[in-house]
Amino acid sequence: MEREPSDNPIVTEGLVRRFGAIEAVAGVDLSVGRGEIFGFLGPNGAGKSTMVRMLTTLLRPSAGRALVGGHDVVRDADAVRRSIGVALQDAAIDPLMTGRELLSLQAVLHGIDKTEGRRRGDELLETVGLTGAAGRRVGTYSGGMKRRLDLALALVHKPNILFLDEPTTGLDPNSRIALWDEVRVLNTHSGATVFLTTQYMEEADQLAGRIAIIDDGRIVAEGTPAELKSRVGDPTLRVVLQSDQDAVSAEAALLRLGEPVADSPGHVSIRLAGGASRVAAAARALEDAGIQIEGLELRSPTLDDVFHIATGRRLEGTAAEDAEPEEAESSAP
Amino acid sequence: MRQYAALSRRAVVNLLRQPTSVVPSLLFPLLFLALTSSAFDRSTALPGFPQVESFLQFVVATTIVQGALFGSIAAGSDMATDIEDGFFDRLVASPVARTSILVGRVMGSMVFGFMQAWLFFGITSLFGLNVRSGIIGMAAISLVSALLAGGIGAVSVAFALRTGSAEAVRGAFPLLFSFLFLSSAFFPRDLMNGWFKSVASLNPLSYMIEGLRSQVITGLDAGGLAAAAGVAFGILVVGTSAAGLALSRRLTANF
Ligand SMILES: Nc1ncnc2c1ncn2[C@@H]1O[C@H](COP(=O)(O)OP(=O)(O)OP(=O)(O)O)[C@@H](O)[C@H]1O
Ligand SMILES: [Mg+2]
Repeated sequence: MEREPSDNPIVTEGLVRRFGAIEAVAGVDLSVGRGEIFGFLGPNGAGKSTMVRMLTTLLRPSAGRALVGGHDVVRDADAVRRSIGVALQDAAIDPLMTGRELLSLQAVLHGIDKTEGRRRGDELLETVGLTGAAGRRVGTYSGGMKRRLDLALALVHKPNILFLDEPTTGLDPNSRIALWDEVRVLNTHSGATVFLTTQYMEEADQLAGRIAIIDDGRIVAEGTPAELKSRVGDPTLRVVLQSDQDAVSAEAALLRLGEPVADSPGHVSIRLAGGASRVAAAARALEDAGIQIEGLELRSPTLDDVFHIATGRRLEGTAAEDAEPEEAESSAP
Repeated sequence: MRQYAALSRRAVVNLLRQPTSVVPSLLFPLLFLALTSSAFDRSTALPGFPQVESFLQFVVATTIVQGALFGSIAAGSDMATDIEDGFFDRLVASPVARTSILVGRVMGSMVFGFMQAWLFFGITSLFGLNVRSGIIGMAAISLVSALLAGGIGAVSVAFALRTGSAEAVRGAFPLLFSFLFLSSAFFPRDLMNGWFKSVASLNPLSYMIEGLRSQVITGLDAGGLAAAAGVAFGILVVGTSAAGLALSRRLTANF
């Protein structure tokens, strides 16, 4: 920690939350700097929401402490509430009210006067692109519109610190990217600190300046996306075999080029020592061994690899949804 | 203060925009009114029955109380829905006064009870209802109806805060119905006997309904009004205390 801890908008020390025998958050030390977009990445059940609920005064820590905006979340809960904006994962938005009504209600709850509340509401509707739908009941909104309204609601009182719990889960790729843009704009314009949880490595990668990866209530890795990925080191070379029977000999042929990585049947992966410049050597090694291949993919390290190295498992959901190779060098047969 | 007003307004808006929750609570008492006033009209001639122009005049106070009882369950079920949906968390995470979460619902219920009483007066006057105490009496009855709606609303909110389930809150409906039925809601106590009479005499709703009824059938009656308002206020005090306790329990349970 470079800065004085009290300077940082979010600081936790040994934060723990138990539910009976379960330790949902098992001793987390964090420090988020002013103006940062901090990504809290983890699979289902990792403890992300529990963490957010403690930091937003909805849940009392079982042990440790947390300061948000310099205020203790337990002893000074009201001061914390005044300085934060929150978009919770499961917080439905009252379907019977219109977007504009909810915004003015939220303004009142934060003690903003009527005219200012209305002005602020209109401004935010514009920002999140909901001006046209402002007079409609929220029950008629799409998932993406609800999330955008949720974001606007969290911003009514111009909080310095913003908590977003899985803001894009369930959104289609376009809406997801649109929401990323809004978060970015907001962060640059208002300088608000953003604490964002996600189970999508791509989201953390794209949006967050710094990331903590949480698994089973513990932080297993922390740093900028680039740092974390560079710790993985070499890119992964993935060979798609014509026949799974060649798997063992393919692995043997590639052994001197890099360490094997577990992969599905019909595929062999290694961490290619020396990176892209060694792809040709790998192809030659396979040819020399007489192995027929369907294709070759070179993939730069991802946060999923970081997670894999730290936990031995893959991020749930991301493997299925986001695992398209980012820098593929595919050669079709 | 504006927070209380805004949350009360939301509670009313909640009610008005959910016809499925309000309409039955309006129609059911009216249906009962129609049924009883046509079926029991002759009973008004029984010896011991109070002097009334019609059974409608006798029973309209019951209709208003019934409407306030049933309509107020919505305060609790809406609160429970807030808890289920997470809107409750949204409120708790904001710096809003904790009491306004509760007071908003209770006030919303009171507004509902007040307006509903006037609606019932409006409809029944089309069928020839004559309220002896006139507009002042109707206003007084509406205010008591508001108090009662607030009280039952608070009780159902307390229940919602305890259980966190809208289903459970709506499950209390038969209980309220029995509570009403085991009183002098549909028959004068003088015409009852046996255990039914004893139970009805123990039921505070009897005194409330009789107090309101006397405004309708005999004219302005301060004693009856005080009894009715007293019962309603008692329920409000008990309900609000229970709800306050349930709220702080819920807030500290997690927190
Ligand atoms: N109120 C609760 N009572 C009991 N256990 C809970 C409670 N809330 C969370 N847990 C448990 O704590 C663990 C962490 O849950 P949490 O909701 O924080 O995970 P998450 O990372 O937000 O997951 P997701 O991505 O699915 O939202 C889980 O094992 C969960 O079952
Ligand atoms: Mg979660």
